Amino acid sequence: MLQLDVAIIGAGGAGLYAALSAIKKNPSLRVGVITKVFPTRSHTGAAQGGVNAALSNVAEDSPEKHTYDTIKGSDFLADQDAVELMCHIAPKIIREMEHMGLPFSRLENGKIAQRPFGGASFPRTCYAADKTGHVMLQTLYEQCIRRNVKFFNEWFVTALVHDEQKVCGLIAIDMKSGKIEVIRAKAVILATGGHARIYWRRTSNALGCTGDGTAIALKAGVPLKDMEFVQFHPTGLRRTGILVTEGARGEGGYLINKDGERFMKRYAPEKMELAPRDLVSRAIETEIAEGRGFRDNEGNEFVYLDLRHLGKKKIMERLPQIRELAIDFEGIDPIEEPIPIRPTAHYCMGGVDTDIDGKTIIDGLFAAGECACVSVHGANRLGGNSLLDIVVFGKITGELASEYATSSQLSEFPISALKDERQKIESLFEKDGKEKLADLRNKLSDILTYGAGIFREEGRLKEALDKVKEIKERAQHLKVEDLSYTFNTNLQQTLEFLNMVELAEVTVMTALERRESRGAHYRVDYPKRDDKNFLKHSIVTLENGEYKLSYKPVNITKYKPEERKY
Amino acid sequence: MAEAKKVILRISRFNPEFDEKPHFQDFEIEIPKGMTVLEALYFIKENIDPTLTFRGFCRSAICGSCSVKVNGHPKLACKTQIWQEIERFGTNILKIEPLGNMKVIRDLAVDFSEAEEKLKKVKPYLIPDPEVIPDTNDEESIVYPEEMEKFDKFTDCILCGTCYSMCPAVMFIDDYAGPFQFGRIFRFAEDPRDGLKKERSKIAYAFELWKCIRCERCADICPKHIHPVEAVTHLRAMSIEKGLTLNPGARHAIAFYKSVTSTGMLNEAILPIMSKGIKGVLENMPVALSFLLKGKMPPPIVKPIEDIEGFKKVVSLSAEVE
Ligand SMILES: Cc1cc2nc3c(=O)[nH]c(=O)nc-3n(C[C@H](O)[C@H](O)[C@H](O)COP(=O)(O)OP(=O)(O)OC[C@H]3O[C@@H](n4cnc5c(N)ncnc54)[C@H](O)[C@@H]3O)c2cc1C
Ligand code: SF4
Ligand code: SF4
Ligand code: FES
Repeated sequence: MLQLDVAIIGAGGAGLYAALSAIKKNPSLRVGVITKVFPTRSHTGAAQGGVNAALSNVAEDSPEKHTYDTIKGSDFLADQDAVELMCHIAPKIIREMEHMGLPFSRLENGKIAQRPFGGASFPRTCYAADKTGHVMLQTLYEQCIRRNVKFFNEWFVTALVHDEQKVCGLIAIDMKSGKIEVIRAKAVILATGGHARIYWRRTSNALGCTGDGTAIALKAGVPLKDMEFVQFHPTGLRRTGILVTEGARGEGGYLINKDGERFMKRYAPEKMELAPRDLVSRAIETEIAEGRGFRDNEGNEFVYLDLRHLGKKKIMERLPQIRELAIDFEGIDPIEEPIPIRPTAHYCMGGVDTDIDGKTIIDGLFAAGECACVSVHGANRLGGNSLLDIVVFGKITGELASEYATSSQLSEFPISALKDERQKIESLFEKDGKEKLADLRNKLSDILTYGAGIFREEGRLKEALDKVKEIKERAQHLKVEDLSYTFNTNLQQTLEFLNMVELAEVTVMTALERRESRGAHYRVDYPKRDDKNFLKHSIVTLENGEYKLSYKPVNITKYKPEERKY
Repeated sequence: MAEAKKVILRISRFNPEFDEKPHFQDFEIEIPKGMTVLEALYFIKENIDPTLTFRGFCRSAICGSCSVKVNGHPKLACKTQIWQEIERFGTNILKIEPLGNMKVIRDLAVDFSEAEEKLKKVKPYLIPDPEVIPDTNDEESIVYPEEMEKFDKFTDCILCGTCYSMCPAVMFIDDYAGPFQFGRIFRFAEDPRDGLKKERSKIAYAFELWKCIRCERCADICPKHIHPVEAVTHLRAMSIEKGLTLNPGARHAIAFYKSVTSTGMLNEAILPIMSKGIKGVLENMPVALSFLLKGKMPPPIVKPIEDIEGFKKVVSLSAEVE
C-alpha cells in the first residue's frame, strides 16, 4: 500500500495551492497530488476573466468593500466571517502568486492591472489578458515541480475511507495500468472541482467536472451543503455552452435582443450588463421566453453579445482568446459580428460542508475549491471570486493538513474497504447493459434543465425528483462494455455518471425544499427571498441509505440582510 | 436538422493487451456542419464502439488534452472542424492517429511522461530574484507592460505536446529538451523577476540547444500560435553572450548544469552562486567535479543524489573533460 502524509485529490488551483502550502509548511512531509487528468489540464485552466482582490491599483478600494459586495452578491447566504477572511487575505495571496511568477497583465506604472466585473463596485479583478486561470494553473504547477510535490497523474479516485472519526486514505484506479490501489494518508484534502456537468448538454464546464469528490464524500457519510445553488453564466456560446467570459461585458460588451435593444435597462438600469450573473441569466431567459430572442435553423435560441463597438484593437488586446473561441466554435469574428449566446450551467455554489478552516466532520479530512462549500459564495458567486476562493482555501487547508499530518499517525486502513470497492467496480462489467450511458446522461441533463434550471417551481421540481430517482434505478443496468485494464475510459465515464446521479438527486431535493428565491435559486412560485424561514444553509447527509435534509444557521457578523438591488 | 456529410474516420487502434502493433479501423458516420473531431470521437464512443480510447476535457482548446494527428497533421481535436478538414484535404477520409515521439498507451492516448520529465529537468519555474521581488506579500514587484511583452506569448503554452510530437531533434537526440521546454526556459530567461535570467540559456545549452535544426515545424503547428523555435534562437544568442561556445569551458558548464538539474539539488542552493557570479563558480568547476568524483560533496550540493543515472552522466562527462 502506498503511504502519504498529505494526500490531495485534485490538481486544479485549489489542489495545487494546497500541495504547495503543505510542503512549504513542513518540507519533510510526503505530499502527493492524485488527479484524474494531467495537472495543467484541470478545469481551473479554463477560467478566463480574472481573480478579485482589493489591491486599489486602479481605484481606491478595500477588503471591507470587497466583503460587502461578496455578501450582497451571495444574497446574504454566505458566512460573513469566511467572506471577511477571504477578502482580507486576497491582496496578499495575489501578490504571493505574483511573486511565484504569475504573469498578470500590468498597468503603465508596472503594477497589476484590474478590470471591472459583475457585482463589484470597483475595478477589482486582476487578470492576465483572458487566460487568468490558465497562467495561474501553470504557475502553481511550476512551483509544485520546484518543491518536488509527488504527482499521481491520471489516477481516478473512487472512494474515501475513514473509521467514522479519522480519515484513513483513499482508493483509486491507476488509469494506465487499470490497477485498483490504496493510498493511505494521515490527512486528505478534497479538491476535485465542481459538478455543473450534471447539466450535461448545456454547461461551460469541462467534460470531467462531474463532482466525483463531492459524491465520494457524500457516499462516505460526509454532509453536503447548499446543493440547490447552481449558477448559470449568462454568456455561453449558443451551440456548445462554451463560455464567453464576463470580462467581455467588463470591457464594455452589450447584450442585444431581436429588437436591437440593450434589454438590461429593464432589469438592472444602473449596472446594466454588469449586474450579477443570476440576474442577467434570468433577464436573457425572460427575453427569449417572451419572444424577443433569436432562433437559428437548428432550433437554438439565443440573444447577442455585441463587442463590435469596442473596436479591433481592444478586442485583440484584451479578449484575444474570446475572439478565437468565437471563430473556432461559432464561426463568428466578434470584431465584425455579434456573438450568439445563451445562459449555461457554470458553477456550483454548493459542495462538501466545511467550516471556515476547510475542515469536515471527519478528522484529517478537508475540502477546498469548488467541490467545497465553506460558504463564501452563498446563493450566488461573483465573477472572479472563485479563483480567489480556491487559492485562499487551498492555502488554508494545505497548511492545516500539514500541521495535522505532522502531529498525527496513520490510521489503520480497513482492508475490507478495498475488497468492497473492488467488488463494486468489478460488478459494473457484469451488468445486463439494458441502458446506455449517453442516453441516461442526456436524459438526466434534460430533466435538470427543465426541472431545476434557471426558473424553478414546485410541480416541476417534484416531477424532476421522481425522474432523477428513476434514472438512478435505470443506471443499475449500465454495463462497462470495455473489458480492458489499460486506460479504460468507458469505466471512468460510467463511474463519473454514477457520481453525477447522486448529486443531481441532492440538488433537486434541496431545491424543492427551499421555498423562496435567493441568488441563483429562483422559484417562480416563491419569487421573494424569505429570511424568516430560509436564511439558513441546507445540509444533506446520507444515513442508512437515505438522504436526510437538515439546516444550519448562517454566520452573520456585521452585514444585516437587506434587499439586493442593482 | 443541419446539413450532414458522410465521412470515413480511419482511426488508429492499439490495445497493448491484445495487439502487437497498431492497425486502422474505419468508422463511417454522418457529420453535421460544425462538428469537431473530438465531438465525432465521442459520437463513435457513445454510439458505436465504447472501447475507443482518446483524451478530451475542456473541449475549448485550453487544456491541451486532445491533440491527435489528422491526416498526418497534429491538431487539437476539439477545435478542428471536420468539414473544414475535408475541404482542406479534398477527401472524405480522415486518418486519425496518435501523436508521434511518444509511446502509445492505447488507441489515440499517448504517454506524456517523458516529455514531462524533460520539462521538469529544465527548471521550468521562477526562481525569485530578491532584488526585484519584495520579501513581503504587502508589495508587488513592478513589471512594465513592455517587459511582459517579451515573454508573454510563451505563457500561452498549454503543454499539449503537439510541437514535441513533430520535432525531428526530439526524435533523434535523446537529451534534446524539446520545443515547448525551450519555450518555457525562454519565458523565465526574459522575466525580470527571475533570479537566473539569461543564465538559463546555459540550461538550454546543456540540453542540446544547438541540435535544433530550425525546421520551424513547431512554429507551424502550435495551436496557440507560439513559436518555440524563436525561443531557441533567442536562447542561442543569450548563451553565446554568456560565453558558451563549443570548447572545454563550455563542457564544464554542461556538466555543471547537468549535475544541478539531475541531482535534485535545491534551487536555493544555487542562488548564492548566482550572486557571486556564475563565471567564478564555473572556473572552479573542475575542482568541484573532482570532489564529486571522489564522493566528497562540497557545498552547495547538500542534498543526496537521487537520480543515479544523472549522476553517472556527470561523472562520465567530467571524466571526458579531464
Ligand atoms: C469556463 C469557465 C471560466 C471560469 N472563469 C472564472 C473566472 O474568470 N474567475 C473565477 O474566479 N472563476 C472562474 N471560473 C470558476 C473557476 O474556474 C472554478 O471554480 C475553479 O477553477 C475550480 O477550481 P478547483 O481547483 O476547485 O477545481 P478544478 O480546477 O476543476 O480541478 C479539479 C481537479 O480534481 C481532479 N479530480 C476530479 N475528480 C477526480 C477523481 N475522481 N480522481 C482524481 N482526481 C479528480 C481533476 O483531475 C482536477 O485536477 C470559471 C469556470 C469555468 C467553467
Ligand atoms: S525548429 Fe527546432 S525545436 Fe522546432 S521542431 Fe524543428 S528541430 Fe524541433
Ligand atoms: S508550444 Fe504550442 S504546440 Fe508546443 S506544447 Fe505549447 S501549446 Fe502545445
Ligand atoms: S479538450 Fe482541451 S484542448 Fe481540446
